[in-house]
Amino acid sequence: MHPILIIVFAPLAAAIIGGLGNKALGSTVVKSITTGALFLSCALSWPIFLGFLGESYTPTVVPVLQWVQSGSLSFDWALRVDTLTAVMLVVITTVSALVHLYSWGYMDEDPDQPRFFAYLSLFTFAMLMLVTADNLVQMFFGWEGVGLASYLLIGFWFRKPSANKAAIKAFVVNRVGDLGFMLGIFGTYLVFGTVSIPEILAAAPGMAGSTIGFLGYRVDTMDVLCILLFIGAMGKSAQLGLHTWLPDAMEGPTPVSALIHAATMVTAGVFMVCRLSPMFETAPIALMFVTFIGAATCLFAATVGTTQWDIKRVIAYSTCSQLGYMFFAAGVGAYNAAMFHLFTHAFFKALLFLGAGSVIHAMHHEQDMRYYGGLRKRIPLTFWAMMAGTLAITGVGIYEVGGFAGYHSKDAILEVSWARGTEISHFAFWLGAFAALLTSFYSWRLIFLTFFGKPRWAESEHIQHAVHDAHGHADSEHDNPPAQEDAGHDVAHHVPHSDHGDGTAGYHPHESPLTMLIPLGVLSLGAVFAGYLFNPQFLNSEGFWKGAIFFNENLMHAMHAVPLWVKLTATVVMLIGFGIAWLGYIRDTGMPERAARQLGPVYSFLFNKWYFDELYHFLFVRPAFWLGRKFWKVGDQGIIDRFGPDGAARVVALGSVGNTRVQSGYLTTYALWMLVGVVGAITWVLF
Amino acid sequence: MVDLSQYLPILIFLGIALALSSLFVFLPMGVSRLTGTHNPDAEKLSEYECGFPAFEDPRSQFDVRFYLVAILFIIFDLEAAFLFPWAVSLDMTGWPGWITMMVFLGELAIGLAYAWKKGALEWE
Amino acid sequence: MEFAQSLRLILPEEILSIGGLVLLLAAAWLGDKASRAISIASVALLVAAAAVTVPTLSGGAMGPDTQAFLGQFRADAFAAYAKLLIYVSGAAALMIAPRFFEQFRAMRAEYPVLLVFAVLGTGIMVSAGDLMTLYIGLEMNSLAAYVLASFLRVDNRSAEAGLKYFVLGALASGILLYGMSLTYGFTGTTSFAGIHAALTGQLSTGALFGVILVLAGLAFKISAVPFHMWTPDVYEGAPTPVTMFFSTAPKVAAIALTMRVALEAFGNQADAWRQVVVFAALASIVVGALGAIGQSNIKRLLAYSSINNVGFILVGLATATQAGASAMLVYLAIYVMMSIGSFVAVLMLRDAESNQIESIASMAGLSRTRPLLGWCLLVMMLSLAGIPPLFGFWGKLVVFRAAVDADMIALATLAIVGSVISAYYYLMVCKTMFFDEPADQVKGASDWAHWALLLIATLFNSPLGYLLTGWFDNLAGKASAALFLAA
Repeated sequence: MHPILIIVFAPLAAAIIGGLGNKALGSTVVKSITTGALFLSCALSWPIFLGFLGESYTPTVVPVLQWVQSGSLSFDWALRVDTLTAVMLVVITTVSALVHLYSWGYMDEDPDQPRFFAYLSLFTFAMLMLVTADNLVQMFFGWEGVGLASYLLIGFWFRKPSANKAAIKAFVVNRVGDLGFMLGIFGTYLVFGTVSIPEILAAAPGMAGSTIGFLGYRVDTMDVLCILLFIGAMGKSAQLGLHTWLPDAMEGPTPVSALIHAATMVTAGVFMVCRLSPMFETAPIALMFVTFIGAATCLFAATVGTTQWDIKRVIAYSTCSQLGYMFFAAGVGAYNAAMFHLFTHAFFKALLFLGAGSVIHAMHHEQDMRYYGGLRKRIPLTFWAMMAGTLAITGVGIYEVGGFAGYHSKDAILEVSWARGTEISHFAFWLGAFAALLTSFYSWRLIFLTFFGKPRWAESEHIQHAVHDAHGHADSEHDNPPAQEDAGHDVAHHVPHSDHGDGTAGYHPHESPLTMLIPLGVLSLGAVFAGYLFNPQFLNSEGFWKGAIFFNENLMHAMHAVPLWVKLTATVVMLIGFGIAWLGYIRDTGMPERAARQLGPVYSFLFNKWYFDELYHFLFVRPAFWLGRKFWKVGDQGIIDRFGPDGAARVVALGSVGNTRVQSGYLTTYALWMLVGVVGAITWVLF
Repeated sequence: MVDLSQYLPILIFLGIALALSSLFVFLPMGVSRLTGTHNPDAEKLSEYECGFPAFEDPRSQFDVRFYLVAILFIIFDLEAAFLFPWAVSLDMTGWPGWITMMVFLGELAIGLAYAWKKGALEWE
Repeated sequence: MEFAQSLRLILPEEILSIGGLVLLLAAAWLGDKASRAISIASVALLVAAAAVTVPTLSGGAMGPDTQAFLGQFRADAFAAYAKLLIYVSGAAALMIAPRFFEQFRAMRAEYPVLLVFAVLGTGIMVSAGDLMTLYIGLEMNSLAAYVLASFLRVDNRSAEAGLKYFVLGALASGILLYGMSLTYGFTGTTSFAGIHAALTGQLSTGALFGVILVLAGLAFKISAVPFHMWTPDVYEGAPTPVTMFFSTAPKVAAIALTMRVALEAFGNQADAWRQVVVFAALASIVVGALGAIGQSNIKRLLAYSSINNVGFILVGLATATQAGASAMLVYLAIYVMMSIGSFVAVLMLRDAESNQIESIASMAGLSRTRPLLGWCLLVMMLSLAGIPPLFGFWGKLVVFRAAVDADMIALATLAIVGSVISAYYYLMVCKTMFFDEPADQVKGASDWAHWALLLIATLFNSPLGYLLTGWFDNLAGKASAALFLAA
């Protein structure tokens, strides 16, 4: 049996067992099963990846089951294993396994843990199906599967209205993208007569330049198909226009944000574009579109990220921005660079999210950075992990020597977009460079606000509750001993003070448990070394990719030949961003507020996320509600129900009443009806 | 125009019937007046029909035993009605005919026995 | 020798008639004390008659060898199939009765005897090969039935039921006799085979009157619309074991008889009566469904349900094909078991003073207070509604399939719509039992005979019933082949 079968189906089995077993098995058993399955998958994935690294592994397709045989449409369940898949496999299984482990600690007090772990495993299975897909329909299966799991996990705390709303929003916005994706799949089948990915990719160059009738115009076939497919990717990867769901998705538990909304699912769009890269290469307009959207998202999300106060939202916008980098890398033809950034990003972004989770855990579910401060000494291990992540995302490194993960991948993207030499790629370069400055700024802002300065916890309601609860428990200790344990470990073991002038409100944050710290440590290693170690293979080696993506040899050579200032740009803007953050949040803490006042309109424009939500609410949500209400009141209740079910029911009720009236109980009536029946029957037959 | 000539016999029949019934009513009346025995009283002038007063409330109750006797009478009356055709055709139906009738009579006998045992034949 | 041969063929009837007469005398001399013993003896009679009948069916008897008394009496597989169903229903009605009547102190030795005679009459009906035999059987059954309906003399409703049944039954008999005399007048014969031969080509107006009137008279017995109106009143008023009997044995007999008359005697004139049957089928389905919706009494509801079911059976008749006849027979068997099960369950609803409970509202929450009873009734109701995993679905399926195969798609569609309407009140009963607050009125204990019958009926109607489909198809196929051999 090929290991890929175990890699893919172990999480499914775990999800089924855990989901159905739920209460019967108990949370410890379910947690062990799901986490065990994921570590098994992870352990089996790394040898495959290392095999490709060592160029000793050949791409293969493992058939599973026959699926559809209908006329000319025929495809099977089959798992494709090539370099691209292998990269995704290690990313998914590693992050997922670590997130499972992390959740032991993070979700420790949740009463619904089996459900949570079953969802996580289900998500992992769907994601693995997506990346191992050999045909577009199977990819769509995985695509929708991760969408479902994402919906379930965002709405995991379904008693919270905001979580429900966020889940629905994520689902609905993704539907818009999915419609594009579906149309793309249909169109591809229409044009190529198959949904098998290898066959499509082989036939794609022959289709370049052909035209097709679309919405009444003659347009380039491949451009239309690729743009439609890319719209699907935009939805899943939260690109500008369809990004609105991602920040709201932070309503889900933090491990979910780390796994789904940072490391894996949101990168599915990038993966899809890379998987279909030979197809996109035949569609120049589509590539320009991809580049433009990627660059625009990159800048947009970074600008918004600079103004947010919620620690998770900052990281969410950061994710959105980094995805923009990946897309414009793909748009300029450097699919390998896009995949490299995807790979490194998975580690450092998961690390940042899990680190943020650890902070939130320590701060009793307070997420507003205004109420943090001075945590460096209190939770040092988390601090150092977050530092590793920040160094990686901002791209700290030394020219010609090496640096943290982001240094290698992000710099490569900037260089290659300059090297491409087209107008749109230079546009992307400048936007990307500016976004890198902003990235550095908001990342360091996060670090400074959270870990440096004086504690500002006293004003946080969460902290006040925690302290208050602790007092209460201390008082009632003898009356109600079990309540002490219920309070949770984050408040149980500190002694309340009566007077605090230090802004801590008497609250003592403490370091997270080992189950949470181990994933942080492992991911820190990835954030530090992933770029340096895998740089040569990802960026330079055709032998590594083995045709899994479109590898542009000339572009890679041109990338190394860009002028020195281009190579130094990223490092310089990173330093500028760091400097601004240091000035504003360490040296002169009043400055940001003054700046915000001075730039009033611009600041509120950014703080309100460019008013996208308000715009959409006005443009789409309100008309949709209006239309929906019309359909409901007029169409459904007024017409369909009235003449359909309700009308039929009324006729039946009337018939029943009429029958009761005829059934009078008098013999004469009955006899009369019998005679009427006889006469009627004869009359009918006679004439 | 409907051909009414076929209905002539019916017309003649109706005429004869009318004449005969008039005769039956008026002949005794005429004879009695002519012979001088015309001597009416209340009893003589009242209608006569099988033992009951002809005009009274039809919902009045009367003894169910009348019905019991009537039903038993009908059963054995019908038995007699069956026996006549059976008897004249016995030479044609032969043994099967004889056996069948004996079975029928046997069943009636059992029914009679049941009714007797149950006391249906006793008035009190 | 022909006579002796005939006597051999009517063996089941001989067993029942001689045995019945003996039991009648026993009833007279031993009195009501012996009613239980006489009931047991009656069941034994039915078992014996059934044992004699089984070979006829399994052998698929048909043709001239099965004709007794010069074709007046048929002992073929078709008759045997119907008779077996009748014997089962009769035995069930005997088994559940003693316990029921004893609570009113009204168990009398005549009950089993009357029931045996009613069964005998229905047996003669299904074996009729001649209008005379038909009438004798019909009246024999009816006269016994009138008495049975008013058996609970102290109960006004029971007396009313008996009287209504009697008056309307007499009217129906009159219509039937009128039709028979017209048929005889225009064909010169009373035998089915003779009528079949005589009624070819264009039908004269008088013969048409005869055909329609005969069918109308029979429609009363099967309570097809518009001759159904006695059904709810009689079913509600009659004692429950009797109601169970009415809804099974006479109905089976009348339907079998109607099939024989329509398909054999009037087989050449299918086009003349088909429209009437189609109308009666649809009207029965619709009226049965609509009428049941407003009911608060479970027995009345089941009465309408039986009208509704007759409609579905008539759909099979409207096809006038052998497949249709076979489907009707399968449906009949399932219908009999559903009726037995539901009426036995109704019989078991008793309050603390062991009075019968008949209002649906009192059954609220039955699933919690009497789970087993509740679940059995659930199976019955859903099976009656024709909901797939249960066996009732199979009956509807075969009938609709026959209709579709005979290109009567509109009829099948309308019938399905009707079955959707009828699902409402079955589900309403289920909802009352399972989701309403327990009324906690059902208390009384039931004896083993009730439980045994109910469990057998439940098992039969459960998905396990599908194990019998092959067997039923085979038997119904033989029976309908026997019917169509003559036609």
